[in-house]
Amino acid sequence: MTIRRRLIPYWLLAPGALWLLLFFVIPMGFMAQQALESGSLLTGGFTFTWEWSNFPDSLSGNSEQIVRSFYYAGAATILALLISYPLAYAIAQQSSRWRLLLLFAVIAPFFTTYLIRTIAWKTILADQSPVIDVLQYVHLLPDDGRVLATSGAVIAGLTYNFLPFMILPIYASIERLDLRLIEAARDLYASSTQAFLRVTLPMTAPGIVAGVLLTFIPAFGDYVNATILGGTHQNMIGNKIQSLFLVERDYPEAAALSFLMMALILAVVVVYIRLAGTEAFMGEEEKRA
Amino acid sequence: MRWLRRNALRIYAGLAVLYMLIPIGVIAVFSFAETPKDKLNFAINNGFTLEYWQHAFAIQELNDALRTSLELAVLATLISTAIGTLMALALVRYDFFGRRGANLLIILPMATPEIVMGASLLSLFIFYSAPLGFTTLLIAHVMFCISFVVVVVRSRLIGFDRSLEEAARDLGATPVQTFRYVTLPLILPGVFAAALLAFALSIDDFVISNFNSGTTVTFPLYVFGVALRGIPVQVNAIATMLFMVTAVAILLVVWQQRRAERMAAVKPEPEQTELVGGPARVPA
Amino acid sequence: MTTSQRLRILVATALTLAAAVLVAACGGDSGNGGGEVQVAQGGKPSGEVTISNWPGYIDPGKDGTAAEFEKTYGVDTTYIEDVTGNTQFFGKLQPQLERGDSGGRSLFVVTNWLAKQMYDLGYLEQIDHADLKTVFQNINPQFVDDETDPGRKFSIPWQGGLTGIWVNTSEAPEIRSLKDLFDPKYKGRITVLDEMRDTVPLIMQMQGADPQNFTTEDWEKAIDFLKQQADSGQIRRFTDNSYTEDLTSGNAIASIGWSGDASLIGRDDVEWRKPTDGCDTFFDQMVIPVGAPNTAAALAFMNFVYRPEVQADIAAYVNYVTPVDGVKEILAKKDPELANDPLIFPPPSFTRGCSEDPNPPGDAEEQQKITEQFQDVVTG
Repeated sequence: MTIRRRLIPYWLLAPGALWLLLFFVIPMGFMAQQALESGSLLTGGFTFTWEWSNFPDSLSGNSEQIVRSFYYAGAATILALLISYPLAYAIAQQSSRWRLLLLFAVIAPFFTTYLIRTIAWKTILADQSPVIDVLQYVHLLPDDGRVLATSGAVIAGLTYNFLPFMILPIYASIERLDLRLIEAARDLYASSTQAFLRVTLPMTAPGIVAGVLLTFIPAFGDYVNATILGGTHQNMIGNKIQSLFLVERDYPEAAALSFLMMALILAVVVVYIRLAGTEAFMGEEEKRA
Repeated sequence: MRWLRRNALRIYAGLAVLYMLIPIGVIAVFSFAETPKDKLNFAINNGFTLEYWQHAFAIQELNDALRTSLELAVLATLISTAIGTLMALALVRYDFFGRRGANLLIILPMATPEIVMGASLLSLFIFYSAPLGFTTLLIAHVMFCISFVVVVVRSRLIGFDRSLEEAARDLGATPVQTFRYVTLPLILPGVFAAALLAFALSIDDFVISNFNSGTTVTFPLYVFGVALRGIPVQVNAIATMLFMVTAVAILLVVWQQRRAERMAAVKPEPEQTELVGGPARVPA
Repeated sequence: MTTSQRLRILVATALTLAAAVLVAACGGDSGNGGGEVQVAQGGKPSGEVTISNWPGYIDPGKDGTAAEFEKTYGVDTTYIEDVTGNTQFFGKLQPQLERGDSGGRSLFVVTNWLAKQMYDLGYLEQIDHADLKTVFQNINPQFVDDETDPGRKFSIPWQGGLTGIWVNTSEAPEIRSLKDLFDPKYKGRITVLDEMRDTVPLIMQMQGADPQNFTTEDWEKAIDFLKQQADSGQIRRFTDNSYTEDLTSGNAIASIGWSGDASLIGRDDVEWRKPTDGCDTFFDQMVIPVGAPNTAAALAFMNFVYRPEVQADIAAYVNYVTPVDGVKEILAKKDPELANDPLIFPPPSFTRGCSEDPNPPGDAEEQQKITEQFQDVVTG
């Protein structure tokens, strides 16, 4: 391979890598420095003392929120996947004109800002709204039950707010599907279900993997839904970090906890990619031509 | 019954889209509700009125914030989509030293809690005495959009049929021409989906913007700010307006294409709207 | 992945992180300002000035106070409402103030306890009373001195209010005290503020502590009580000012909340009550940050808003407690109902014995501990 050929990937990568290096990695360095500081703002400030104890310290007392975040983000991701896949499939079936409209409908809610969207849901799910009355009538809720300020409300909020993150990658993947492969499967006596399971699903796997990652990862660190739709015991790790940083002003612990959270997410992602198969995530390696 | 089975998917899609638009419906409804101090309170106590629509642009700060957000989102989308697509190409097509490291680098920003990302970016800007404002906002927005763009475009690139490109090369096209006339059109739906996502992320961001905006106000910052003393009802009117204007614009495009089709006696090329892909290739 | 590949990644990551830390470490430690405190320079105001305040805290528009100030002094005034919360604002300004940079702002408004903390950290400039003649001529004698700023060295009151209980009089008219809030029959329909200095002093008074003399044990006992009530589900949630949404939609029938929030609540049957077993006041302060440009204009602004006619406009719009004398008489002619509202012009008897958004007792370390305990309950 010529030198020029070998350099192509680096050229392609350069602008993005540089941007992330300057504006993500270096700030992470600041954060790493903070994570190893000790002291407090009002008693003389922070000093860099290789305070590794910040890491285990930040875990203690916060494990409940971490597990809860895992549970909420996981549930929201699964729900989002179940809702999104058929929808993405349906959109891909339409003629290209209608697709534009439908895709727009998918991200339209984002024009209204996170806060107002979630308050709108809070209004719909208010204790005395007709929606709750209906749920009580069909006995999905006890007679004095409520949806708000429960885990269910937070999960519902997360699911809703991250639906576009799941729909768009899956759609991009489904749209690429080659009809002929499915025809071929049918010609070989496969039923529609088999064709779906053996051909469509594996071929759209990259989209599913991407969607799951784009939903689970940010949902894990979310705090807005828990704040607006949750109660006293629905706080997620994002709320905790928010509190540490802004209210307690314990910058070292906030930084340490953030790193731990990132490490945890990475671990989950690695396991998931292993299970889903690395080609679905990274693609095959180029054949040396 | 058969009709139901055949159209089950379409009915489902309709319901799902309706579900997505429920908050917009609620927001629209309450943009017509009269309130004593013209502040939103999601309750209908004083009847309905059109005044917030008539005076939708009465609040200068709201208009400025909206304009800033739109400018920011468009720029951030363009830049991050371009950069992200290039990265995705590199990561899927080539095997090179540092490939796995680069993959890691992409995932990390998504996994970082926004508040720490925002605060540490602020520290960086301050360290280098950069003036806080639109530029620092743009830098921050592009930064967190890149990862999402890469992941979406990449999922589209994987399994891409290289033989088309090889055919182009065989017919004498240079790599750039191949990219422009073969690759790009085929991945365009994925790139478009990624751009939509980036736009949505940018226009909706609060936490990171809060830290890095200086005295510039974006739409989410404005809304979070006024939420403290009452969101003006105009916010609802404008949000609904935005939605309707874009929907109408798209409907016009669609209608115009149908007219063009009907007027031309011949059925046109299926590749009408390349942005969203060609004809339906999935079985009904 | 082969072992050598794994090793390569590990080494690369470690190197990158180390490099980043090194780059960052060159920035020095994030200690506090230190050095001697600057005094804001007075003089004739000119040029341009930027002021940060809480949203909705001034009468807006072309005839508003900020515009009037601009016309009167010929100073190009940029008035921004980006103090969305004490902690949010502090969080985003801290790195700049640390370096003596005010981010272009000449004046901003924060609650008194934060003003004190900022002053102790060296983030504020001192103000000379000689430059504030109008202020000290017209200031209500109640506010001349302040526990958090004895002698008014760095802060001038802007507006204030009371923390009490908002009650849904249709469903629970009998709630009049803090103790009533925790009656089990209201389980899950009560909210309390997530602001420590508002909620905990109220609970402490409910438990019989002396508002002028809270001890660490008082704080801990109150925080414990809140934890129990949160665990049992009595408290629906800890809120910022979004408790108004819960009251409007009926999710909550009573909330600990602020006296001036009437316009945010979308129903007529909810009223604010001063609890019979405790009360709390808060007061927001104008302060001048370190490194503020054009401090002459900032001081002129302080004087300007202490003119009774100007303050009357502010008070009529904002509906919180005003610190300026003479406003009541002016408003009595324009809007007698407003002039007689004890929530805007509280007589001393109304606020006697109330706590004043106090900091926890003890040194900074002890205060931090209490803050952490409270936050543990809030983010439970």
